[in-house]
Amino acid sequence: MMKFNWLVVIAVLLISACDSDDNPAPAPDIDVPATYSFVRSGASTVSFSGQTTRIRMGEELISAMKDFSSTEEALLEMYRNKTASDGDANPFEDAELNASTKSIKSKTGASKDLFSANATEAAEIKADFESWISAQVSEVFPNEEVLAEAGVAGQIDDGGSTRYVNAKGLEYNQAVNKSLIGGLMLDQLINNYLGETVLDESTNREDNDNETLADGKNYTTMEHKWDEAYGYLFGNADNTAAPMSELGSSDSFLNKYLGRVAGDEDFANIGQEIYDALKLGRAAIVAKQYDVRDEQAAILRQKLSEVIAIRTIYYLQQGKNALADGKFGTAFHDLSEGFGFVYSLRFTRNPNTPNSFFSKSEVDGFINDIYGSDNGFWDLDGATLDAVSESIASKFDFTVEQAGS
Amino acid sequence: MKKTIGLILSFCLLIACSSSDNAPDDQVDTFDRSVMLTNWADNIIIPAYQRYISQLDLLKTAATSFSAAPSTSTLSALRDQWLEAYLAYQHVSMFEIGPAESISLRNYTNIYPADQQSIVENLETGDYNLVLPSTNDEQGFPAMDYLLFGIADTDEAHVEILSTPIASTYLLALVERLNDLGTTVLEEWRDSYRDIFVSNSGSTATSAVNKMANDYIFYYEKALRAGKIGIPAGVFSGTALSNRVEGLYSRSYSKRLFNAALDAAESFFKGESFGSSQTGESLASYLDHLSSDKDGERLSALIINQFSNARSTANDLLDDFYSQVEEDNSKMLMTYDQLQANVILMKVDMFQALNIKVDYVDADGD
Repeated sequence: MMKFNWLVVIAVLLISACDSDDNPAPAPDIDVPATYSFVRSGASTVSFSGQTTRIRMGEELISAMKDFSSTEEALLEMYRNKTASDGDANPFEDAELNASTKSIKSKTGASKDLFSANATEAAEIKADFESWISAQVSEVFPNEEVLAEAGVAGQIDDGGSTRYVNAKGLEYNQAVNKSLIGGLMLDQLINNYLGETVLDESTNREDNDNETLADGKNYTTMEHKWDEAYGYLFGNADNTAAPMSELGSSDSFLNKYLGRVAGDEDFANIGQEIYDALKLGRAAIVAKQYDVRDEQAAILRQKLSEVIAIRTIYYLQQGKNALADGKFGTAFHDLSEGFGFVYSLRFTRNPNTPNSFFSKSEVDGFINDIYGSDNGFWDLDGATLDAVSESIASKFDFTVEQAGS
Repeated sequence: MKKTIGLILSFCLLIACSSSDNAPDDQVDTFDRSVMLTNWADNIIIPAYQRYISQLDLLKTAATSFSAAPSTSTLSALRDQWLEAYLAYQHVSMFEIGPAESISLRNYTNIYPADQQSIVENLETGDYNLVLPSTNDEQGFPAMDYLLFGIADTDEAHVEILSTPIASTYLLALVERLNDLGTTVLEEWRDSYRDIFVSNSGSTATSAVNKMANDYIFYYEKALRAGKIGIPAGVFSGTALSNRVEGLYSRSYSKRLFNAALDAAESFFKGESFGSSQTGESLASYLDHLSSDKDGERLSALIINQFSNARSTANDLLDDFYSQVEEDNSKMLMTYDQLQANVILMKVDMFQALNIKVDYVDADGD
């Protein structure tokens, strides 16, 4: 009898010793659905069409930046969805996007938590994107048929693909694409819609407690805000309620790179963890359990920040490896993606603070390290890329090696 | 009693939680990698480049002769020499490391299908810049394949089109470019890279053995298996793409080019000196040194056997793969399957045995 008891104890210990993911089960009165679908009176309460619209505007913009027949005016109109004189513009191929009054620019560097009291930086960020867009047309397009070299914009070979870089080796289209992941998608998601400033604005809590619906809608305002966060990650999926099977292929922005990071065996669970946190947080709003909601927001801030940091280090390390092999075109392509991800670090969020993991001066310093010299990427060495990678990784629990391959 | 149980308990916990980190056997790897690198460089890679450059020199002579006296007979000689040089290239294509890697040799030498429309424009305008990456499908052996075999219906018409001053200049520029690229690579191997390569004999991810093994498998997987067979057979697209074959316009050399590439890949695996059956240290002997077995058989023997299986399956293919795809694509697919079996044996089993990590991923398409 004695022996038997000990065996049971051992077995229990063995099982629990290895159970590392100690996800506390949600409070019993939160009804978490299998997929991101929430219903009231038989109709869906989920809505994030504005996010889907902006993702699609971004897709058209980054695609048009690679089309040498694009004009600066047209590209800027895609970014602003306005003419230069602030009139209505119709720059998109998709008529629905033209009909929309939304724009990429209005929500770039525009979160309540980071920028509502920092208009100076917000304006600089919006202007950075415009300067990259303009420079693509003024610096890179004229050199379409020129071989790039240090100090000269033009084309460069990336293992059979042709890339078009500025005089410092940067692909502006990559700078825009990857910087939007932080400046638009991530910033809006974790620093705007998941923040208490937005979720609990005005009478949101009271309305949510009483299920007072937004005017003419089937959702409470708080439910909707959370959905808008969800939309910046999954809003362009074919099946937006159950988007995990197509994770990584729903867009060219945050969804794509969450998929890439989740494809690294070191971070295999991160996609599912983020999806689950979004789902549980939304269910908690329905159940009026705001502590659970905020716990999920904190998880999302941490993990989505990690996604950006991991991918940043990945590209810096890939760039380093290619430089070592003398493959400048391949290196510059990786570094151009890395440049945009470094820029995106500014929009990460330390969940324990009101701030990003990275101050503006830190991010500016990284960019100066990798891109600041006269010939930019042409002058880079592996030690610099390692140093920047280490600085980034030091804020998190993973290593440069885990992120870099 | 309690103490003993406590000890047993902690021991059980340790065991239960140790993750299975398949470290390679603890036995010390005593294989001398530098001997293998020396064999690769001195007996295989450099001699293969020498042969390739000598064939390119002959190609230049033939192109110059054609240009000086265009006729069906000088055209025929030029075509023959184009084929010889193309076959010689199949023996160096897998060595996309060091100088070849940094200048992207394969991408300027053998990108197919060629861009027919741009080639015709170049022929008419004389306005091209072959150092631009965007022109990589307007140059190399595939562009010459089109010019020499596909630009007209008859030999006489080819002679007429190619004998205009602009066309003649373009043709010579294509040959010149192949020559420049190949010569740059060979000279760098001789001048400096050979020593760098041989002395980089460690076992880290950036060591010469690990990189060469990766470049070799990358070539086998992407250029040989997919490029020559899988893509035209429609393995990746679901529909057969007969116009993606190597040697599309000459319509009779795909199989010879494929066989040359397969022979070269097998010889490298076995460590055979270029142009002879004498062997030195190699991936095969390395595996044998480690006594690497799979399912009770020597892994090296399984791989060599699988090269034979692929070769004998490919024996049933027509000389012209375009016709093969059009007439009976199933044989292309069977050949693909045989080639794929060796991707598993080499990229999975061999890499695991040699403790080499795959250093490439599929490009992310943007």
